[in-house]
Amino acid sequence: MTRGARVLLLGPYVLLLVVFFVAPLALMLAISFSRQSYGQLDWTFTPQHYVHFFSDAYYLGVLADTLWLGVITTAASLLLGYPLAYHLALTRSRWKPLLIVFILSPLLVGIVIRCYGWMILLADRGLINESLVLHGWLAKPLPLMYNKFGVTVALVHVFLPFMVLSLTGVLKRIEPQLIEAAQTLGASPRRAFFEVTLPLSLPGILAGSLLVFSLAISSFVVPILVGGFKVHVLPMIVYEQVLSVFDWPFGAANAFVLLVISVVLIAVYIKVTERALRGIV
Amino acid sequence: MILRSVVGLVYAFLLLPMVVVVLAAFNAGDYFTFPPQGFSLKWFANFFHRREFMQALRLSTELAVWTAVASTVIGTAAAIPLVRGRFRGRDLLNAFVTSPLLLPQILTGVALLQFYTLFKMQASYAALLIGHIVVTTPYVIRTVTATLTHFDMALEEAAQSLGAHPVRAFFEVTLGVIKPGVVAGAIFAFAISFDNFTLSLFLTSSKLTPLPIELFAYLKYSFDPTAAAVSAFAIGVALVLVLGIARFMGLEEFTGF
Repeated sequence: MTRGARVLLLGPYVLLLVVFFVAPLALMLAISFSRQSYGQLDWTFTPQHYVHFFSDAYYLGVLADTLWLGVITTAASLLLGYPLAYHLALTRSRWKPLLIVFILSPLLVGIVIRCYGWMILLADRGLINESLVLHGWLAKPLPLMYNKFGVTVALVHVFLPFMVLSLTGVLKRIEPQLIEAAQTLGASPRRAFFEVTLPLSLPGILAGSLLVFSLAISSFVVPILVGGFKVHVLPMIVYEQVLSVFDWPFGAANAFVLLVISVVLIAVYIKVTERALRGIV
Repeated sequence: MILRSVVGLVYAFLLLPMVVVVLAAFNAGDYFTFPPQGFSLKWFANFFHRREFMQALRLSTELAVWTAVASTVIGTAAAIPLVRGRFRGRDLLNAFVTSPLLLPQILTGVALLQFYTLFKMQASYAALLIGHIVVTTPYVIRTVTATLTHFDMALEEAAQSLGAHPVRAFFEVTLGVIKPGVVAGAIFAFAISFDNFTLSLFLTSSKLTPLPIELFAYLKYSFDPTAAAVSAFAIGVALVLVLGIARFMGLEEFTGF
């Protein structure tokens, strides 16, 4: 393939990315270091918004909460996702395509809809509480929504498919002979799993965890709808600063803190997977 | 046996919210209870009679079609040199073109909003469309790459040695073989655009609201099952799209297992 052909084929998308992705992000960085007075941007360099963020206990608390929510979501997704991926990688069932549809369809159903489903289930007068109260098992509804519990449940639901897809890819590439060999040599199935399968699936665990963590800490639809603005996370602050308070420099600084964390995670993710271009996730 | 029941429970967890939404959409009562209070299509009727929802549906569909067309052309073109080219910095370029997919969309959204506002382009159709193309193209690149990697170059060489121009050889031989990846990429791009919320939120206005944004606005004020009807409709669309991908590319290939 000639150089000319390469430029012609790659050019349009690279150009699109430079103008409508790289340039806007660079601009966001510039805005985060600028001042704003009476709604007008004033391009004098100042680190004040970062100083503000990192010296205010409220914002540091929000940052800590965001990361903690990310850790819990990742751990829960791993616990629920591993059995699913393990089963999917090994099964010879003729229902397998249907199982993949089950895993993929939540990915294609919009996030607002999935949150709405959880709202129907978890609200004070929602399906779960109403049923429990109706049967006399509960005197008053359990607080399932508008708190960290509800947000975590919905976050796990939203990002579980990414974990399953990352894990299945790796588990499927493990040679079955290795596990057979371990068992022939006298290892119990449990021991073969813990000493062969699990260590070999570590790259998938790491990749899936990085992906889910990075998605979870940047989600704001779930905290807004299922958390009802009561669970404060970093992306929600970005959203509020940019779209309601209109403090762009501070919003941009918040976004940039999130961006730095994400970029580090993505870099590790690409390094771990070395497959930036295989599969859909 | 234990594995099977755990797996069953996790699938139930995955599907539960969607099942509940669909049941609520067909339920006669204002509140969803179990067992349901009878079958009704009134929430769907309400959905189809409300102008704001119909306008939003039309905008979303149109936007998704244009997004799919543009990102399929741009993405397919970009995938070819990324798979076949032997040049320095290819891995870096690979990472670069997939970065919109890995970077949280809220960041792309905020950055684009500020960028567009500075250049007086905010809340325009073109601005929204470009944003969608930026985030959907990496998906097309991935699906096309997946099929292109299996492609036997000898086929294209054969066409060329029989006298076909390289461009003609590509369109008549290669494109025919990689079609599954191209079509699956187009369908996925459509789906991502049709359901996109996060990016759209920053690029829309009261006059330019795609369906997920309209639904979000509706949910902030009311909890009635019209929202469930809208959601059930979108879930139906998503299912059709998944089946389309299954038919054209195969789900195992698509998911990269």
